[in-house]
Amino acid sequence: MPQLQQAMVRNRLLRAMAPEDFARLQPHLEFAAVQIREPMVLPDRPVEALFFVESGMVSVCTAHEDTQIEVGLIGREGLVGVSPVLLCVDRTPHLHFVQIAGEVLGIGRDAFCDAVARSESLRRLLLRYIHTLMVQAAQTAHAHAALGLEGRLARWLLMCHDRVDGDELTLTHEFLSMMLGVQRAGVTLTIQNLEGAGRIRAKRRRIEVLDRDKLKALTNGSYGVPEAEYDRLIGSA
Amino acid sequence: MPRYFFHLRYGPGPDGLARDPEGDDLAGPDEARMRALAMARDLIARTRVQAVRDWFACTFEVTGEDGRAVATVPFADTVTEDDEG
Repeated sequence: MPQLQQAMVRNRLLRAMAPEDFARLQPHLEFAAVQIREPMVLPDRPVEALFFVESGMVSVCTAHEDTQIEVGLIGREGLVGVSPVLLCVDRTPHLHFVQIAGEVLGIGRDAFCDAVARSESLRRLLLRYIHTLMVQAAQTAHAHAALGLEGRLARWLLMCHDRVDGDELTLTHEFLSMMLGVQRAGVTLTIQNLEGAGRIRAKRRRIEVLDRDKLKALTNGSYGVPEAEYDRLIGSA
Repeated sequence: MPRYFFHLRYGPGPDGLARDPEGDDLAGPDEARMRALAMARDLIARTRVQAVRDWFACTFEVTGEDGRAVATVPFADTVTEDDEG
């Protein structure tokens, strides 16, 4: 198999890091295709591996008995599992699972920790990424408190759109209802209204983003804050 | 189990109906009605959406897979059910 080149990867953290840092990680990276609903990090279990997302999307969810609500979204800008590992805890209460099928580059915890221990620049880059994750979670809390369902759904669609190729998102209303912590009927109603206003086009199990600016206008500034932090601190590549 | 669809009536005409494209598998019409009431309670209690000024003016129009009406459940029924319970 040809050696993985930094210029060939799609993950933005891998692309942004110094070539020598990439070289430290590269021998340990293992390519894998991941399927929808596949767990990447289980709640309260030791994190054994981390995953640089190349395509697709991973959700971070609270995992209470009957209500799961999404508290984080990780796409090709991110590294699944980095928060507990880099912050020196071995597990997290939150479930991380695949929401849109795609590809990841996995690395074992020990190899990852070894590389980080040898490189201050790598550690700093990844700590800055963890900061953007914390900002994202805080903005999600803000959106839940400050926005009605239109604004929360619009924000979520924008964040999802940022992480896929093309304008079509494959999502059921049931799935969105779980992500946003709202009854499915509320999602269906809101999708119909966003469609009526020309912001999206809804087909069976698919939502096409038509007008990002109109969606942004619904979010009262709560979309885009972690994204801007990421661009500022890590790079807009 | 049969599948039931929970269409949300929140205004007059076709624009005032959010058609449920997915549905839920439930044991029977009684369970479908209970589900409609539970969803209505949760929407009333927790959901703010600009398109709906007053949840109590809304109704679930429940249909079966053949599209025939199974039940009509006004959100106001959540109150009477509680009072009777």
